[in-house]
Amino acid sequence: MSLDGSWYLCLAAAVFTIGAVGLLVRRNVLVMFMCVELMLNAVNLTLVTFARMLDDIGGQALVFFVLVVAAAEVVVGLGIIVAIFRRRVGATADDLHLLRG
Amino acid sequence: MAEYLPIFTMLVLATLFAGLSFFGSAMLGPKKPTRAKEAPYECGIVPRSEPAERFPVRFYLVAMIFVIFDIEIIFLYPWAVIFRQLDLFGLVEMIVFALAVFVSFVYLISNGALDWGPVKRMRPAATAPSRTSDSTVRRIGRAEEAA
Amino acid sequence: MNGLPMNGLPMNGLLVAQAGQPEGLAPLELPNVEYSAMAPHLILIGGALVLLVWVAMVRRRPPWAWAAFTVAVGLASLGASWLMWLDVGRNGPRTAVADAVVVDGYSIFFMVLVSVIVVLGALMGESFLKREDIRGPEFYVLMLLSSSGAMFMASANDLVITFLGLEILSIALYVLAGLDNRRMESREAAIKYFVLGAFSSAVFLYGVALVYGATGSTNLGEIVGYLQSSVAPANGVLLAGVALLLVGFGFKVAAVPFHTWTPDVYQGAPSPVTGFMAAGAKAAGFAGLLRVFFATFDTLKLDWQPIVWVLAVATLLVGSVLAIVQEDIKRVLAYSSISHAGFVLIGLQAANEKGLAGSLYYLLTYAFMVLGSFTVVTLVGRKGDARHDLDAYRGLSARRPALALAFTVLLLAQAGIPFTTGFLAKFYVISAAVEGRSYSLALIGMLSSVVAAFFYLRITVLMYMSTDEEEAEEARTEPLAIPRSMAVVLAVSVAFTVAFGLLPAPVIDFARDATLLI
Repeated sequence: MSLDGSWYLCLAAAVFTIGAVGLLVRRNVLVMFMCVELMLNAVNLTLVTFARMLDDIGGQALVFFVLVVAAAEVVVGLGIIVAIFRRRVGATADDLHLLRG
Repeated sequence: MAEYLPIFTMLVLATLFAGLSFFGSAMLGPKKPTRAKEAPYECGIVPRSEPAERFPVRFYLVAMIFVIFDIEIIFLYPWAVIFRQLDLFGLVEMIVFALAVFVSFVYLISNGALDWGPVKRMRPAATAPSRTSDSTVRRIGRAEEAA
Repeated sequence: MNGLPMNGLPMNGLLVAQAGQPEGLAPLELPNVEYSAMAPHLILIGGALVLLVWVAMVRRRPPWAWAAFTVAVGLASLGASWLMWLDVGRNGPRTAVADAVVVDGYSIFFMVLVSVIVVLGALMGESFLKREDIRGPEFYVLMLLSSSGAMFMASANDLVITFLGLEILSIALYVLAGLDNRRMESREAAIKYFVLGAFSSAVFLYGVALVYGATGSTNLGEIVGYLQSSVAPANGVLLAGVALLLVGFGFKVAAVPFHTWTPDVYQGAPSPVTGFMAAGAKAAGFAGLLRVFFATFDTLKLDWQPIVWVLAVATLLVGSVLAIVQEDIKRVLAYSSISHAGFVLIGLQAANEKGLAGSLYYLLTYAFMVLGSFTVVTLVGRKGDARHDLDAYRGLSARRPALALAFTVLLLAQAGIPFTTGFLAKFYVISAAVEGRSYSLALIGMLSSVVAAFFYLRITVLMYMSTDEEEAEEARTEPLAIPRSMAVVLAVSVAFTVAFGLLPAPVIDFARDATLLI
């Protein structure tokens, strides 16, 4: 039982969309964070699928870089979140209202 | 596919049984809710406040440091697989990479990120310039009035 | 066993190597890593690492020495860039490090620009950090790393390198935006920038993946080869990928409708960081954008030109109209930076050589203008970095005539008054649009610069208005000190803006040479 590559691409597109929509509608910063991860991993799935379809190792090598960059982003993001929400109970984006105009 | 049929049958039966028993107990059982029954714990000490959910920042810090150094290893694996073929070139490149990672490690240690136990402050506590001891007294006073 | 495809993937002899008989293998084709092709980038990264070790090892920590070191690193990378420029002038452009990096006039142009921004940024930062009592070398380290990312974006010949450059640039900037972590505004700016920046990077990366799937490579040269050789290159996957790349870049350069983060982040971030962001991050975003669209997707011109047209019009109009209603100087400058991005997009939309040269010239001159402007904003913001409402500028000329004069020059240059570089930059991109027969866009550009002139003039008039007694009293109690390093930044940016406005040839030639060498 093997699936055509386009199924994986569609799955990746769906996951990416879920992540993107989630990032835009959810208010909890940590959930927004997970949505970013969802998007990046959807890209990873796309890359691996294309690498397999094109019979080319380059796409898989790119996944390594994406993983490392995602980790770096997570750490920096978590650092910022910890710094900002240290004195608060919930991590809600609605609390961020100082900057507007 | 045929050999999976018993598993599917099993799954369906299990779901049906679980669903039916929930449904049955909800339909047949008598319901007489009291306050004691609705409390999170029916026995023991009555909870008076929410449990503290905050961890010391140090936990997050160590987790973050772990994540970042853990993920660097990802580049060591492909190198380790073919390092004989890469020969001197691979070694030099990997030393360059490891050096860059190591410098950040040195920075972490020097900043006390890995010191456990009583906190030695490298820098003065981060408070807003507008916060003085007077404003703190006022703030806490307000909080106590409100409580 | 060796070389036979298994599971659809080529085996590169891994199992053989493990079995310990390497002599039976074809030797790997090792890439030739020419460090000299990335000398300015490596100087910046090396400088950052040395700074980190220095801080870790030496107990005495003189902050001015870090700033001086950063300036020295910036000057060294400027020198290295200049040597590379001479080398490329003699031997022509080339690609290096297995085709991943390109050394041409275009990339070196941005290396020069970024090095200058590092030098000025470090000078700006030094007295700011002292005033706000922000200790530690993080500002300099992050700025150096961020700048190296900007350089990688300009010299990338592979979408992977562009992506890595983008991330190196952005991740350091997220932290820089939250550097003043005692101020809630700064932390809020950091998290807003982070969430939207991470979103845009993910979108950009998805674009890379789709382009890779459609063309079979992430290398810009190979993509060009594919586009030229294939009969019907514009399939859905490729176009979707190109569109997503445009969105990703659009976020970085703050093009409408991807600009929503800009005013908040510019307002909340520490003022010198905002200056660095406006000059460096925008230049880097455009460095990637212009290379990918001008050089690589040139054959798809008819597909992306209309989209860029819409982006440019929206960016020009939204930027200059919304700037009028702002009451905070940093928000005004944020919206003005959005409208400047619109002008650079005019150059991209023209899609001719003049447009590219105009965009490069615009980015170079804008960097000086905006760094100078944010130096003034930093100074007027005083301790606490808080006094940024427009009223703080009322009567500035009476208290600090030189400062008011410098700010006037910089603002008028941004408005595009003749005899300044700002005028020439606007003229250059608009004439490129006329040459590219986008008359309507040229007209909208001129219209938007007229609208924009209004709010620049408003600030200027405020500075020359007389103060009432209450404010004069406040000015006496809270004098506005101008540290020497800030004065240097101001002098350099004003001198550049005026001198090359009167004598435009050298800089225009520099920008034109940068495009000829691609």
